[in-house]
Amino acid sequence: MKNEETDNPRRNGEGLENPSRRTLLRGGVAAAGGAALAAGLAARGAGAAISQHADPLITDVQDWNRYPGDGVDARPYGLPSQYEKDVVRRDVPWLTADSKSSVNFTPLHELDGIITPNGLCFERHHGGIAEINPVDHRLMINGLVDNELVFTMEDLKRFPRENRVYFLECAANSGMEWRGSQLNGCQFTHGMVHNVMYTGIRVRDLLNEAGVKPEGKWVLAEGADPSLMTRSIPIEKMMDDCMVAFKMNGEALREEQGYPIRLVVPGWEGNMWIKWLRRFEVGDQPWQQREETSKYTDLLADGQARRFTWEMDVKSVITNPSPQAPITHGKGQTVITGLAWSGRGKIARVDVSLDGGRNWQEARIDGPSLDKSVHRFYFDFDWDGSELLIQSRAMDEQGFIQPSKDELRAARGTNSIYHNNGIQTWYIKQDGSAENVEVSS
Amino acid sequence: MSKYLLKPLAVASLLALAHPLAASAQDADAGEKVFRKCKACHMVGEDAKNRVGPELNNLLGRQAGTVPDFKYSKAMEAKGNDGLVWDDDTLSEYLENPKKYVKGTKMSFAGLRKETEIQDVIAYLKTFSEAAGTPAETESKAEEPAKNDEAAAAAEPVQTAAASDGDVLPKDAEVPDHGVFHLGRKALPDEVEAWNIDIRPDGSGLPVGRGTVAQGEVIYTETCAVCHGVFGEGEGRWPVLAGGQGTLEDDRPEKTIGSYWPYLSTVFDYVRRAMPFGNAHSLSDNGVYSVVAYLLYLNDVVTDEEFELSNENFASIKLPNEENFIADNRLEEPAYAAKEEPCMKECKPGPVEITMRARVLDVTPDSEDDSVGAGAIE
Ligand code: HEC
Ligand code: HEC
Repeated sequence: MKNEETDNPRRNGEGLENPSRRTLLRGGVAAAGGAALAAGLAARGAGAAISQHADPLITDVQDWNRYPGDGVDARPYGLPSQYEKDVVRRDVPWLTADSKSSVNFTPLHELDGIITPNGLCFERHHGGIAEINPVDHRLMINGLVDNELVFTMEDLKRFPRENRVYFLECAANSGMEWRGSQLNGCQFTHGMVHNVMYTGIRVRDLLNEAGVKPEGKWVLAEGADPSLMTRSIPIEKMMDDCMVAFKMNGEALREEQGYPIRLVVPGWEGNMWIKWLRRFEVGDQPWQQREETSKYTDLLADGQARRFTWEMDVKSVITNPSPQAPITHGKGQTVITGLAWSGRGKIARVDVSLDGGRNWQEARIDGPSLDKSVHRFYFDFDWDGSELLIQSRAMDEQGFIQPSKDELRAARGTNSIYHNNGIQTWYIKQDGSAENVEVSS
Repeated sequence: MSKYLLKPLAVASLLALAHPLAASAQDADAGEKVFRKCKACHMVGEDAKNRVGPELNNLLGRQAGTVPDFKYSKAMEAKGNDGLVWDDDTLSEYLENPKKYVKGTKMSFAGLRKETEIQDVIAYLKTFSEAAGTPAETESKAEEPAKNDEAAAAAEPVQTAAASDGDVLPKDAEVPDHGVFHLGRKALPDEVEAWNIDIRPDGSGLPVGRGTVAQGEVIYTETCAVCHGVFGEGEGRWPVLAGGQGTLEDDRPEKTIGSYWPYLSTVFDYVRRAMPFGNAHSLSDNGVYSVVAYLLYLNDVVTDEEFELSNENFASIKLPNEENFIADNRLEEPAYAAKEEPCMKECKPGPVEITMRARVLDVTPDSEDDSVGAGAIE
């Protein structure tokens, strides 16, 4: 507990609007979002096995049993139920100076399975959301190629297509946690990751269309938004599995995600997945752009900084229970679930600990196990109502194991910002509420 | 500046004699100049849109925090709901010290120090406010944010029409002979030139041009300092651009151009590509050379105000921290290199204890302290 009070003036902050804070104030039992609230009410109504009175929700005819609802045209583009209105992306306003160059977070604790719904994929922009009419969009290839080319959207859609599910994680995901547990909620600690099925075309086909010269070793990818976002990417990666995507989860990319096209760089840090993609330049050296020098370089304790740390390391997090999603049903049969992923391939195994990492048991992975995609794991157990320190630890198919936060700090110090894949601990109290903590090794 | 030399005196005597906000103390023309400090974030006039800050048409008589579709701070909305209406008095107080008058405002602007500047800019804003009695000048065009005059004069635009009409392209031209699928068309030299603006550490890609520290100071003070601070120290949470040398091993390192960035080419490339925030591509190439020269000066990389940066001497200038960047060696770290079967039973000596608890229970917007957490997302 040593650092708890030292340098944080926010501990008595006046803002009550934050969900995690509210959750804690209510002792967690009242539940965080609308969904959990509804679930809690339902559970209470059913009153479990001991109820003496017939449940009026069953014995009475309800409005929705009697009166017809909206017709087919009322919702031309369907939206989630009104009872899910709190399932939204949230930001942490004090992180950045302006919302046009900022970030928000996916509500991982409200989701299940492996696919992130399009409207909940976290956002990170550097100059706001560009709104581009696809008719006006161009993709250029220039530099060390036989033919410098320009493509319209129509041209791009004539290349052979492929469908792939990949996770995208911001390298700064969990970046606020280097010095210790800071934010209460996996949405804020781990919510800069999403997992989407992309439809698009291979970058390889595009580059071959232009004809890369033998000296061409690097590709600069550039976006069309006001930051003209740029990253240097080795040609091997581009030729291997990178895509230019125009659909996500079956529909057009959302504007927040780079409509009409974005670059897909499987397993590598999210900043490289250039949105509103407008140009590839082929060159013989990296360009040393701002996002690969000033940013996205990892400062170590000795003052040196790693650069080009592209791959996302093996990582996992328990999404339920967690601070925004407390256990509301009391002791008994309980589901622990979470996500695991690795930029180096598939997840081979996930272990769960209930005692802060002293003893581990293998969790059950369910759903598709795909290369560089998130995996869903479950751990079903009978909770005796005592305090728990729950953790998950992922291992990928190459044998890399998710490290503890202490191991990471020992190797890197606390100023790295990026690539924090340390094991997360949630402290589950007897009332079922959860808090972000760190534990002894 | 000379214009203002006499004015504080005039106001000072007015202050002594009469109400300081007497209309006679306000000068809308002078206010237009003062408004340059606001243009990075605000627009006025026809077609004015919300930028970093809300549009400021019809400001006088308007309730605070009420422009549709602008996301205000909670603080500003609360003030408005409590009855704050913008008039001479309330604007004067707000513009003198925004954070003090509206505690928690997200306007990251230190305030106007001179009373004349405040009165002049209010007079200028009145010309766009019907409620102020002076009808909005109908013929006045939208004030585009901060186009640097001097720069514009020297300039050939960096970016030219990106979106050309698809129909211009010869559809009926013979089937292209390139590639495998014969898709796309050859890029024209002008098109490549318009978009190919990236610069590498060896200086390749640099446009021909030059600019001095002294010229850069003028541009920087006018177009960059509102956000990045007069000395590059960063206002509020806007990025710090100068200082921090020798702090990389500290508990709270300050990563700036001088203390951290490996290459000068990145500064030129990034400023030309993305700055000033909210009005990118408004500086001429010479303007970028001079502002980069000034950033070198603010970071003590050059010390002579007469120093001129140009495409000729550019590649010879090294930033101090270049040597401290290393390749990715994460996989050599003990935790990864071992690749052992993970321990399953009794992996820690005794019962596990909590050593630290979440320190930030709420994410309070615009808290006084910027150091915790801030900058974690980069
Ligand atoms: C760095 C960006 C920035 C600069 C520079 C700036 N502002 Fe603002 N301004 C804002 C933001 C953001 C808000 C919204 C404040 C809030 O919600 O708390 C704002 C709000 C205001 C408001 C309140 C508007 C309303 O609708 O209630 C006024 C008036 C105002 N600014 C005037 C000015 C003037 C005059 C200047 C120049 C002297 C200036 N600002 C400079 C960003 C800026
Ligand atoms: C309205 C506020 C604003 C103005 C005016 C502005 N900037 Fe910026 N500047 C920003 C923001 C915001 C960022 C970070 C953007 C991001 O992270 O995507 C930034 C980033 C930068 C950076 C990179 C900082 C780093 O550590 O990576 C440089 C260099 C810079 N600005 C230079 C300038 C120059 C030169 C000017 C004037 C010509 C200028 N800026 C005007 C807001 C501003």
